[in-house]
Amino acid sequence: MRNVERLCLAHFWVAFGAFLFAAVIGTWQMWVRSPLGANVGTPGQYFMSVTAHGVSMAYVLTTFFIMGFGYFVAVTALNRPLPGKLWAWAAYWIALLGVVVTIVPIAMGRASVLFTFYPPLTASVWFYVGLVLVVAGSWVWCVLMIVAMSAWKRENPGRPVPLAMFATVANAVMWLWTTVGVAAELVFQVIPAALGIVQTIDVGLARTLFSWTLHAIVYFWLLPAYIAFYTMVPRAAGGRLYSDTLGRLTFILFLIYSLPVGMHHLLMDPEHGNATKFIQVLLTAFVSVPTLLTIFTITASLEIAGRLRGGRGPFGWIAALPWERPMVLATGLGFVMLGFGGFGGIINMGYGMNAMVHNTSWVTAHFHLIFGGSVVIMYFAIAYEIWPQLTGRAFASLGRLRLQLWLWFIGMMVMTLPWHWLGLQGQWRRVANFNYADPIIAGWGPWVVVSLAGGIILLLSALLFVANLAALHRERVLAVSRPLYALAVHPPRRVPAALNGFGLWNVLVLVLMLLAYGFPIAQFLIEPSPTAIVHRVQ
Amino acid sequence: MSDTHPEIHERWILKTELLWSFGVGVFIAAALGMILFTALTISVNPPSNVERIDPKSLHLSGEFAEHNLGTTVSDGSVTVRAIATQFMFLPRCIAVPANRRVTLRFASPDVIHGLLITGTNVNTMVVPGFVAQVHTEFTRTGDLLMPCHEYCGLGHSEMWATVQVLPDDQFKPDPDGRISCAQR
Amino acid sequence: MQPEQPSPPENSEVADGVDETALAGVMRTVPLGAAILAGSAVALLVAGYLLIYILVFIPRGTVG
Repeated sequence: MRNVERLCLAHFWVAFGAFLFAAVIGTWQMWVRSPLGANVGTPGQYFMSVTAHGVSMAYVLTTFFIMGFGYFVAVTALNRPLPGKLWAWAAYWIALLGVVVTIVPIAMGRASVLFTFYPPLTASVWFYVGLVLVVAGSWVWCVLMIVAMSAWKRENPGRPVPLAMFATVANAVMWLWTTVGVAAELVFQVIPAALGIVQTIDVGLARTLFSWTLHAIVYFWLLPAYIAFYTMVPRAAGGRLYSDTLGRLTFILFLIYSLPVGMHHLLMDPEHGNATKFIQVLLTAFVSVPTLLTIFTITASLEIAGRLRGGRGPFGWIAALPWERPMVLATGLGFVMLGFGGFGGIINMGYGMNAMVHNTSWVTAHFHLIFGGSVVIMYFAIAYEIWPQLTGRAFASLGRLRLQLWLWFIGMMVMTLPWHWLGLQGQWRRVANFNYADPIIAGWGPWVVVSLAGGIILLLSALLFVANLAALHRERVLAVSRPLYALAVHPPRRVPAALNGFGLWNVLVLVLMLLAYGFPIAQFLIEPSPTAIVHRVQ
Repeated sequence: MSDTHPEIHERWILKTELLWSFGVGVFIAAALGMILFTALTISVNPPSNVERIDPKSLHLSGEFAEHNLGTTVSDGSVTVRAIATQFMFLPRCIAVPANRRVTLRFASPDVIHGLLITGTNVNTMVVPGFVAQVHTEFTRTGDLLMPCHEYCGLGHSEMWATVQVLPDDQFKPDPDGRISCAQR
Repeated sequence: MQPEQPSPPENSEVADGVDETALAGVMRTVPLGAAILAGSAVALLVAGYLLIYILVFIPRGTVG
């Protein structure tokens, strides 16, 4: 463990610093678009803020957290030093440089294109260059994860890769595949447009390439939370993982099915037809499977823990769980949010009801709840779990950690549930201010204010989270080293190669991507769309 | 010891997982079946007409020239044509009949826009380079809001149109088949 | 079919103090509780899906 504490902490502080910054400006945005802030702020400020919020939460918090956590798992799960540590540090500095390079044009108002940056709206080229640098740093991380696992397998022939590392590498492999779409869009289309090398752009192609990344990226964010579910939660609860095999299968299913479904974000787009869209809906239905498997497996694992602690009957095991432990509490709260968020997701998935909710506040509600809620609450739990090992100090009391988690849960529910309702009423997205004098819009006002209250609670929770971690650096109680990873009920002695590596699955990903994206992309190369003029945002 | 603990047997655990998967699979199949069923029977489909149009010249002539925008009735079919541009819809008010099939066609000469019509399932992106087409039947009369729902620049918040759903006795096109919003 | 022995703990999988006999005991009931809880949650999901489909989506008109 000695050799990666500083590396991990460096990544986490960038992640959580960006998170706190984004939470502050997010709250400001909610105030501005509510009736209470009707005359505050200009559209220029608002959309600059939304761009910064999206980039910080979707690209910085996530990438840096996942990289830091990955290095931690590679060392602790495999029980060997991290290979290529110098490369890891180089990747960190490149990615951090990327963050700076991206933020500057945003702050100057020259990149108000939001984190999705749909062309032909085009920002300063430095905005895109910064993002490319962040991705480049993450690619180095991916390679190091693969190298670490390969080295361990060479030293431990025939033994199953510890599940936490297997899952981490699944995520790394998936990320490499995921970034191809946005990298192609940036390198071949958007950056040349931003540089002025081309004056027009094929918008249909750009949107399709971005969609390749847009859905898979949320699974990149989600997998670390699931790593915690499978490998940390059962131990924290005092039980066993119900099935190691299902764990491996789940991460493989995510690797295969996260990628070919991106075009379900384009169900309302005119550049693709019925057949493509139906295939997308079919594949998206499949990607719900690993989550549905997970809720059963993890609930069963918790049931084991609850019954071992004396819980009896169909429900007694629930109360018997050690809810005072942050990892257990976060899982319970996270599963409730996963239920609501998953419900929204299943509605988004079918193109009929997708028409009902596309680009309304329902969508904003959905991804704040499922990502900001169920995934990020597990990021908090992971941080609380491993911070003692990273700093060598222990939390004097867990009360403030639990308070922070509860505030996050309450805030997220209060903020997002009204948004779902408003979305069904037709409230649309990415709006700096609403005309509350309009009779249809006036009725929305009170709910927007309720939502704002939720946002303020979240801000308090975010502040408390950072304060809790910062306090630990100064804590005087020394940490007692504790094993982190759970055993399975049936710890595997051997697993088939298919559940111990990714050779076969990479082939399957390729096949599915050709099936799903082959024609949709090829159509733009065979018959390019009429191009649109590049619109520079200044 | 393992002989006396068959419950820890991995095969039994996997069997329970399989049972759960089966239940989950039934649910997913049912949801997909419902989607397919409604697509075939009551015509619920995503926008699926892939039709290219040059954004750089669409305002000059042809279907989306300014004089051709708005609601037109020809041979009994009702077609609405509108342009989505930074930062308004043209026309800003659209008249449509209740309880009749209406075809809405949109194009953009500049950036990506999108629109929905409140209280209906009409929802589409408007992507420069393509005509966006949606068929629907408006079930209730009254004034509806049609905002632009995709970020299209700093004026995005102010971009919306009104849709007047008129009952039969008020939906009276002129001899050319054109009808604009009632002045109120 | 011979049940396999639980394997000795691997490097990072340090023994967790779970008593194998107690584990076998609870495994007679597990996953009944999980099936009930997770099953109810999914059933609620399905019910909610159908309700929104019938009560909100269909009344808004066909679209294609």
